[in-house]
Amino acid sequence: MTKLDWRIDWRKGVMAVVLCCTLAIAGCQTKAPSQFDQVQKDSTARNATPAVAKKATKGSEFNKFFPKGEDDYERVYTQEKKGFAEAKLKKDGKEVALLAVSDTRSLPAAAAKFANAKASIAGYPSVDLGTTQTSVLVNDRYQVKVISKAPSFDKEDRTEWIEKFDLAGLSKLK
Amino acid sequence: MSKSIFELVDQLPTGGTTIMALNALDFVIPGQWQNLTGFTNTIRAVTGESDEAMIQAIGERAVYLYNDEGEGYQRAMWLYQTVDNAAGALGMAAMANKIGQDISFLGFLDNLTPKPEKVQSIDLCIKLVVELVAYCQINGIPGDSVGDFLAALGDYGGESLMRMVALICFDGLIPLGPGFIGKGLGTLNNMTPNDLEKNDTFKSVSTLIPGNNSGDKLGFIGQSFDSVSGWMTGFVDQKGLTQENVLGNLQKFVKISEDKLDYVGAFLDISVKYYTHTGTQTLARRLIERAVAEL
Repeated sequence: MTKLDWRIDWRKGVMAVVLCCTLAIAGCQTKAPSQFDQVQKDSTARNATPAVAKKATKGSEFNKFFPKGEDDYERVYTQEKKGFAEAKLKKDGKEVALLAVSDTRSLPAAAAKFANAKASIAGYPSVDLGTTQTSVLVNDRYQVKVISKAPSFDKEDRTEWIEKFDLAGLSKLK
Repeated sequence: MSKSIFELVDQLPTGGTTIMALNALDFVIPGQWQNLTGFTNTIRAVTGESDEAMIQAIGERAVYLYNDEGEGYQRAMWLYQTVDNAAGALGMAAMANKIGQDISFLGFLDNLTPKPEKVQSIDLCIKLVVELVAYCQINGIPGDSVGDFLAALGDYGGESLMRMVALICFDGLIPLGPGFIGKGLGTLNNMTPNDLEKNDTFKSVSTLIPGNNSGDKLGFIGQSFDSVSGWMTGFVDQKGLTQENVLGNLQKFVKISEDKLDYVGAFLDISVKYYTHTGTQTLARRLIERAVAEL
């Protein structure tokens, strides 16, 4: 190999290393900050509070308090997790609402919103969130929520279906 | 470190082979699958919410739920990703010499080894079981009776339904033909626990399949496939699905030679990560629905 060839080869080697470094650095910098970075950090920290309280009531305990389907309405259970149960309400085969019961022990802020509730349904404090959600708090613990999934299912419908839950039975759950 | 749920949803592709292949199945469930990508996008679409503070609160609760390992959401994600990777690895081993994005794969057909029918049948059954197990990890077993559970399963829509359609078409009809359900059941009936243990797809996900040993797990796989086979048969009949019309639609997006059906199956295994893609979308939707209901 001549002296000239050696120099050209040497430069190629340096270029390759520089290129690799550039790519590596570029790779490290491609992750844009996210509005959820903080919560990701908080929820994965060593002593992070788990999302679901250890003593949260099992979702299976809630099922019996859900209203049954009737006339054109069909109820289909969709989720049953610790502290949470949900069913879809369908009318003529189309989804019109979601029915859910959750144990606010896992999320105290959810119960806190009822502290100044001015309205009530079946004697339980009730709150609306936005234009599609209505909920009540039973026994200062269990939130029963109905969420509209069709424009035809309005607040009156949501209230009616909250009343169809066995709220008295749910209030006796320990 | 594994990715956060919002990263996974933010990084869902809007194009590429997986998306093309899924779009090719739109004729089966027209308009029912929208390629929803982006975490806040998904929150808006699932909840109809436009208030930014509410979107933030929903997202935060969803992130918390995903990161609580006891809740099973990360296990579900692992299942979706692992079954796609296992299927891909088989094809990759056969095409180690070929690198490229060329979706017109006629050029490298010679390097692809079609999977023997038995292996393809086992993979179909395991993928189905992964679907059921992931479903239970995400949703629990809803309701109080088997009837309630099947009703929930029968209520599949959107990305979950698209995953089942892709399973039927890409892992059933295309590689195994119209008798794919019978072949799946037949293979399971003739299989021993030992056979199962040799299957790479099974090995990769076996820890999460119910059963104390391979014999029990084989039993679970058999029962699951049996119970869903009625739904699958009905679905194929109702939609008039055939190997020809699935291939015909796939050909609009991907160049295929009709006498290379076995290779199509291998190609799909390598290039189409539909379990991970639609599984991530299903998981995000369920997390967001739960987050909204709990807030």
